[in-house]
Amino acid sequence: MALIEIKNLCKTFGSGDGAVHALEDVSLDIEQGEIFGIIGLSGAGKSTLVRCINLLERPTSGTVTVDGADMCRLSERELRQQRREIGMIFQSFNLLMQRNALANVRFPLELSGVPRAEANKRAQELLELVGLGDRLRAYPAQLSGGQKQRVAIARALATNPKVLLCDEATSALDPTTTESILELLKNLNRSLGVTVVVITHEMRVVERICSRVAIIADSRIAEMGEVQEVFLHPQTEAAKKLVLPSRAGKLEGFVRDGESRAVDECRGSLIRLAFDGETTDRPIIADMILSLGAPVSIVYADTRSIEGRLYGHTVLQLPSEPETAEKMRRWLTNQGISFTEEE
Amino acid sequence: MFDLVLKGLGETIYMTVVVTFFAYVVGLPLGLVLAVTAKDGLRPNQGVYLSISAVVNVLRSVPFLILIYTMLPVTRFVIGTAIGTKGVLLPLFVSAFPFVARLVESSAREVDRGVIEASRSMGASVWQVVVKVLVPEAMPSILSGATIAATTILGYSAMAGVAGGGGLGAIAINYGYSRYNYAVMLTMCAVIVVVVQLIETLGKASVRLSDRRLK
Ligand SMILES: Nc1ncnc2c1ncn2[C@@H]1O[C@H](COP(=O)(O)OP(=O)(O)O)[C@@H](O)[C@H]1O
Ligand SMILES: [Mg+2]
Repeated sequence: MALIEIKNLCKTFGSGDGAVHALEDVSLDIEQGEIFGIIGLSGAGKSTLVRCINLLERPTSGTVTVDGADMCRLSERELRQQRREIGMIFQSFNLLMQRNALANVRFPLELSGVPRAEANKRAQELLELVGLGDRLRAYPAQLSGGQKQRVAIARALATNPKVLLCDEATSALDPTTTESILELLKNLNRSLGVTVVVITHEMRVVERICSRVAIIADSRIAEMGEVQEVFLHPQTEAAKKLVLPSRAGKLEGFVRDGESRAVDECRGSLIRLAFDGETTDRPIIADMILSLGAPVSIVYADTRSIEGRLYGHTVLQLPSEPETAEKMRRWLTNQGISFTEEE
Repeated sequence: MFDLVLKGLGETIYMTVVVTFFAYVVGLPLGLVLAVTAKDGLRPNQGVYLSISAVVNVLRSVPFLILIYTMLPVTRFVIGTAIGTKGVLLPLFVSAFPFVARLVESSAREVDRGVIEASRSMGASVWQVVVKVLVPEAMPSILSGATIAATTILGYSAMAGVAGGGGLGAIAINYGYSRYNYAVMLTMCAVIVVVVQLIETLGKASVRLSDRRLK
């Protein structure tokens, strides 16, 4: 059985004409030990979805099961107990401003009545684990954003939860800090075995640490699966819009814009190369140009290399002579690079 | 004159301290209940909120001097006398605690909702949120409110001099105003000003020392 099971979850705010259907018939399973991403545009219902997992928000209908417990059926007391199994971190950190780092991490332990000395010891260990062993007595106001999020992570882990919910945990951080926080989450997932649920509107966050992802659009799950599969071969319009912004927006703009130099409609057709990590990080396009002796234009590129492997998309405009274009298609196929024709 | 000042000062400080203390004993919990039961509170409860609100509003809208006279029988019964320093303690308290409740309510509602949310996500009960989050996080604001409350209570205690109260206000009126002795009157006023300043300074310092957001 999956650690978190969500079945036919609906959440409606308000009633009558003003009712907002924040979630409609959402079902998904999150397995023990995985890092699961939930991605969607602002207002899609992501926060509402995670808040239904620890019942900060009570579902209108449907069920949420965490570690075998039907969350909606728990008594007030049982629910508080169960919440200790579910840590949560937030975009705005939500630290207690009048408590120092150590006392913040100690807070959930105080709530469950752990003796002071033991709580202090555990809090110190956790702060060391997140790399803040030297800032135990610092107040949140004295810490940077990244450090605050580290304290929040240590605090969320204090009760040894099975799950860590992260609601836009890196959205208030700069790219470098984001990277280090994601790295930390990945390490904690590996070393402690804690299941991580990552809510975000940024693809790079999901790409960086998640194994599976659900795309949420207009209050529903549009698509769900392995991150590579979903991001490289999005099936639904909603997913394409999110994953391939160029197809919906930028590229059409290029093609239609008569002034544009990047795409000349008299010239050859457009193809989209998808890199799914099977290709090593070598200059493929330069290789192709050199070996075939004909130029191409790069219309759009969004690729990155992770551990020496290439991920992402590139849109090329092939030369107008059909033979040269055909040669290029064959060359790419021979290299094992998959591509699709753009219309 | 010096003896008068000393006597008045002692009485005024006594009234201010005692009334402020009891106003918080009652007003602090009441203010917290208001914050918790408000529409956007931890445990919204219209019934509780509106009933406390009504009592608070009624008491706050009765002018203080009229309150002293209306309460005469009650004061006599509870305190034993309705005049002098002791005689105004009860009316002062009755007009102060609703004011304090509102001050505390507004301080508690200033606490970041996200922090409360986070505590709930960690399994805190409503009681734990109030005691471990709401009060400590709102403490600088509560202290700042207490400064306002204490100076306001001091001002009212002086006003009570007109209706037979004690302290600096009573001396200013009985020895100064009534006997055309403006020196006494102005001296008492000056002392009141100094005491208010002192309370303000102490209050500001305690807010600064208690607030960990500033360092
Ligand atoms: N407490 C609430 N009351 C009313 N509407 C809400 C509330 N919380 C969220 N919503 C609405 O539900 C929708 C989804 O919100 P949210 O889950 O916060 O989206 P996301 O986190 O994906 O940006 C939005 O339209 C939002 O306005
Ligand atoms: Mg959100």
